[in-house]
Amino acid sequence: MTPYRLPQGGLIDRSTPVSFSFDGQALQGFAGDSLASALLANGRLLVGRSFKYHRPRGILTAGAAEPNALVTIGRDGRTEPNTRATMQELYEGLEAKSQNRWPSLDVDIGSLNSLLSPFLGAGFYYKTFMWPAAFWEKVYEPFIRRAAGLGRATHEADPDAYEKSWAHCDLLVIGAGAAGLAAALGAGRAGARVILADEHAQPGGGLLSETAGIGGKSAPAFAADLLAELAALENVTILPRTTVFGWYDGNVFGAVERVQKHLAHPDAHRPVERLWRIVAKQALLATGAEERPLVFGGNDIPGVMMAGAMRCYLNRYGVAPGRQVAIFTINDSGYALARDLETAGVSQVTIIDSRPEGGIDYAGAARIVRGGVVRDAHGGKALTSITIAAGGKTERLRVDALAMSGGFSPIIHLACHRGGKPHWSDEKSAFMAPSGLQGLSLIGSAAGIDGIAACLEDGAAKGAALAETFGFKAEKPAFGLTAGEIAPMPARPLWTIPGIRGKAFVDYQNDVHRKDLGLAVREGYGHVELAKRYTTTGMATDQGKLSNVNAIALLAEARGVSPAEVGTTTFRPFYTPVSFGALAGPSHGRHFQPVRKSPLHGWAEKHGAVFVETGLWYRSAWFPRDGETDWRESVARETKNVRINAGLCDVSMLGKIEITGKDAAEFLNRVYCNAFLKLPVGKARYGLMLREDGFIYDDGTTSRLAQDRYFMTTTTAYASGVMNHLEFCAQALWPDLDVRLASVTDQWSQMAIAGPKARKILETIVDADLSNAAFPFLAAAEVSLFNGQVQGRLFRISFSGELAYELAVPAGYGEAVADAIMEAGRDHGIQPYGVEALAVLRIEKGHVTHNEINGTVTPGDLGFARMVPAAKPDFIGKRMLERAGLNDPQRHQLVGIRPLDPAAIFRTGSHILEKDAAAALENDQGYVTSSCHSPHLGSTIGLALVRRGAERHGEEVLVWNGLRGEFTPGRLCSPVFYDPQNEKLLA
Amino acid sequence: MPQSLTLRPALARLPLQRSGLRIEALPEGTVLHLLAPVGSGPAGLTAELGASGLSLRPVSPGQWFAVGDAVLSNTARAALAARLKPAAEVVDQSHGRVRIALSGPMATRVLAKGTAADLSLTAFPIHHATTTLIGHIAAHLTRIAEDRFELIVLRGFAESQWEDLDRMSAEFG
Repeated sequence: MTPYRLPQGGLIDRSTPVSFSFDGQALQGFAGDSLASALLANGRLLVGRSFKYHRPRGILTAGAAEPNALVTIGRDGRTEPNTRATMQELYEGLEAKSQNRWPSLDVDIGSLNSLLSPFLGAGFYYKTFMWPAAFWEKVYEPFIRRAAGLGRATHEADPDAYEKSWAHCDLLVIGAGAAGLAAALGAGRAGARVILADEHAQPGGGLLSETAGIGGKSAPAFAADLLAELAALENVTILPRTTVFGWYDGNVFGAVERVQKHLAHPDAHRPVERLWRIVAKQALLATGAEERPLVFGGNDIPGVMMAGAMRCYLNRYGVAPGRQVAIFTINDSGYALARDLETAGVSQVTIIDSRPEGGIDYAGAARIVRGGVVRDAHGGKALTSITIAAGGKTERLRVDALAMSGGFSPIIHLACHRGGKPHWSDEKSAFMAPSGLQGLSLIGSAAGIDGIAACLEDGAAKGAALAETFGFKAEKPAFGLTAGEIAPMPARPLWTIPGIRGKAFVDYQNDVHRKDLGLAVREGYGHVELAKRYTTTGMATDQGKLSNVNAIALLAEARGVSPAEVGTTTFRPFYTPVSFGALAGPSHGRHFQPVRKSPLHGWAEKHGAVFVETGLWYRSAWFPRDGETDWRESVARETKNVRINAGLCDVSMLGKIEITGKDAAEFLNRVYCNAFLKLPVGKARYGLMLREDGFIYDDGTTSRLAQDRYFMTTTTAYASGVMNHLEFCAQALWPDLDVRLASVTDQWSQMAIAGPKARKILETIVDADLSNAAFPFLAAAEVSLFNGQVQGRLFRISFSGELAYELAVPAGYGEAVADAIMEAGRDHGIQPYGVEALAVLRIEKGHVTHNEINGTVTPGDLGFARMVPAAKPDFIGKRMLERAGLNDPQRHQLVGIRPLDPAAIFRTGSHILEKDAAAALENDQGYVTSSCHSPHLGSTIGLALVRRGAERHGEEVLVWNGLRGEFTPGRLCSPVFYDPQNEKLLA
Repeated sequence: MPQSLTLRPALARLPLQRSGLRIEALPEGTVLHLLAPVGSGPAGLTAELGASGLSLRPVSPGQWFAVGDAVLSNTARAALAARLKPAAEVVDQSHGRVRIALSGPMATRVLAKGTAADLSLTAFPIHHATTTLIGHIAAHLTRIAEDRFELIVLRGFAESQWEDLDRMSAEFG
């Protein structure tokens, strides 16, 4: 026989049938069913194959700990493998498929592994697949992974949305069973901000499966009333379908809400999952207790189920497990199940109680075998019988369902996530939460409290007490009498059952049986952490929720010590698996990172720019024109045009910092290694900023706009870093200086106008006199434009080596000003140029960027030694710059390099060898930091850092690209390839 | 030479009207960054700023944004800066910062998707402000009224922030 739906009962909505399929077979359940309950109601016992031996497996639990009923839900991009059927709500059209079987669930070739099981014990793979070593990655591992395992992820993109959200509360209650509901009410009624999170669709926990009465109502009705009251409180938020998966520093809890995983057609405007970060002043863990399996032969045959789960399917979902049911228990919980089965019309019930005097108050009709055990269960894809051992005799009993209860383990995972170790309680036969926790307490069954009334009392008292600590006046709620409950009290554990014939599984998901643990101890892996890794017990998606305590106890027995001495493995987030979708949230695809756009982005788009991502900025890289076949052609044209006519380049992304305060000059003098104290108003100066260790940190120009106002530019890459650095200097190093800093990067649209005709073009726009006498190289001034329409800032600085200006205007005017400059420059041949041409121009001129300022160079290495005045009393990096190593004449120094054959090329990153030296790293003389094709010289050129480079100009060398096997004869030269006398610059 | 220069708005977007929420780009008026010595309060600044139609938003110790819907002329801004000295230095950020308002009962729900700040009225009362991440973008957040917030973001991120807010509020249709 098989499980079946009872004609009445349960919390399902029998007026709303729901169609779904399992392995292609059309089935029907009801609204309110889980996939597991619907499968059982349809008589499906076999739902999966085990990980290693491919043994037939059925539904074992009714909750998050399920190790067997892992199925793949959905199709295409919505395929979700390893979904626990026990946690999946049924919805119309749900498609579920079994996993890890071929060709079908019923006929699985992989089950041949079972025949080989005597050879496949723990450690088999480690011992067998050692040689040849090269085979492991290429042959053994792919084969083993294919043969064993879980479901397969889809390669298609997930079409659904995910998001993240923060929440704050006085009290977070995790779990909405009796204790959790009472606690939430105790604090909520007082006015505290409460969040009540529960992993199930319907909060209520064990109350939803309970037949006892509370305060004159049925347990589910009682739960519903409490939830209704909580929902009506504005200060209480109920989060159903929300698993709190981790406890983190700052009393922050991670939780994932399955917002639309229960819907056939998710609303595209809502996420399917939401990742919560909940900041709680206090939290109460009301997660209940996990019922433990018993380790007997064949305890994994479909039809064997946890007693509490069987009661849940019976009472909550109206599904009877079979017609001849046995209950193997070590405590009184089995009697509550027996009573409910009888009430539901299942008349053939046998209780096998390991205790000689268990269930003495039970008055039902079930047969009771006291002092007995189930030694073995029998059957293939379905349970057919069990062997009972009692009083020295054995009995074979025909059954189609077997419930088991090996005691209860408080669910304490979250309480251990911040490093606390659980402790063993002999009284409770369970591991209890660490003591001395801050910000988190446990209530109800999670704290080892038994019975509904006691859990309600505990939750109500602690919830109200916490509300008082938050400053609210609280009163402990009262709930009336509980009637008809058979509460399971702690009982003597039963770890080992003698005389077992079949395979007795400890960890269902990893196919670890009791002999594997004994083997681990014999082979020296008796430490709990080693045994976990040797046998794989406690691994994979269920993380040993059902198995860990049994495994620890069996290890303890094999070692002859107490479970307290064995201890547990380490509890870490996540409590249950969390999808990558939820962790990524909206940050994928186009939204992987924000986009930062220059105020000239639209202008560049108008001119056909090809953009390149530079950090978060989108920079115009080049501006292709009709007829140009590749980017190099466009870049060469732009470069030449700047040299001959003029070009406009968007440099708005440069970091810009406004520095004010009466000590601003002194401040700058200390952060730059070169002199800034006497920079006159109206002048710009190139500055080098060192790190404390003497190496160059960043460079840029800083202009003095007024006596106490400076305008600093930084490199694009280091804009925020320099700002942070300056703030640190101002706030922490020299708080006595009056200096104030404001980042103005986004305030200004800044454009470089470079080329021999730059002055002529700008003169039509800028109201000031731009003659060389009035506005010479390194002049800087606030200027008005267009007859006073706009105030801007003009700097006579040049990265290209040409006569050049940088013009900054308020960002909103940027596009209009750029348009006007292009118009004014049309007759002068102006063209836009991008960062690629900018790079070529600066390499030709020998100007450095972070290609050269790579964290290993000093001012002297780049030829800037004279910029650092010896007389300057102090600046950041001064002391360390004096180290011998930083003044070693053998250091790498900046040089230029050209190929001997103008048609030859070399690449950035290539190494420099002496002319006749062998290609080996011990002969390395340095490396190429920047390279490009120079339209000016008609060949590849490069900048390089070369040992004693400054004195080796003219030396023939070999440029070696070891990755590509390229050798290019070249010659070292001055790094300034263009206009070494600065005649263009100063024109 | 153009007769008059055209301003390109940082955020040329129509307001997003959701159920219980309105998101709108505020006028690109005035945002002044006031820099005073650490430890000084805003008391000496309020009257001058009020006269110029500007409201204060605290930024950090000794720093505020003075914001207003109207554009201050260069002359007016320079005059104001001169009057505020030596109490505070003024740095114009009117083009560098973009203001976005979220109003309605769902505003906190949407903002909570981006910020770790506790937005309850007790923890984040009216006029309270903080610099915080909204998702991946740093922003300055002020509570203007019980259910109205002002975000000030860097101009370069304004479009990205707007798109994020659009997505974050989509569930409110």
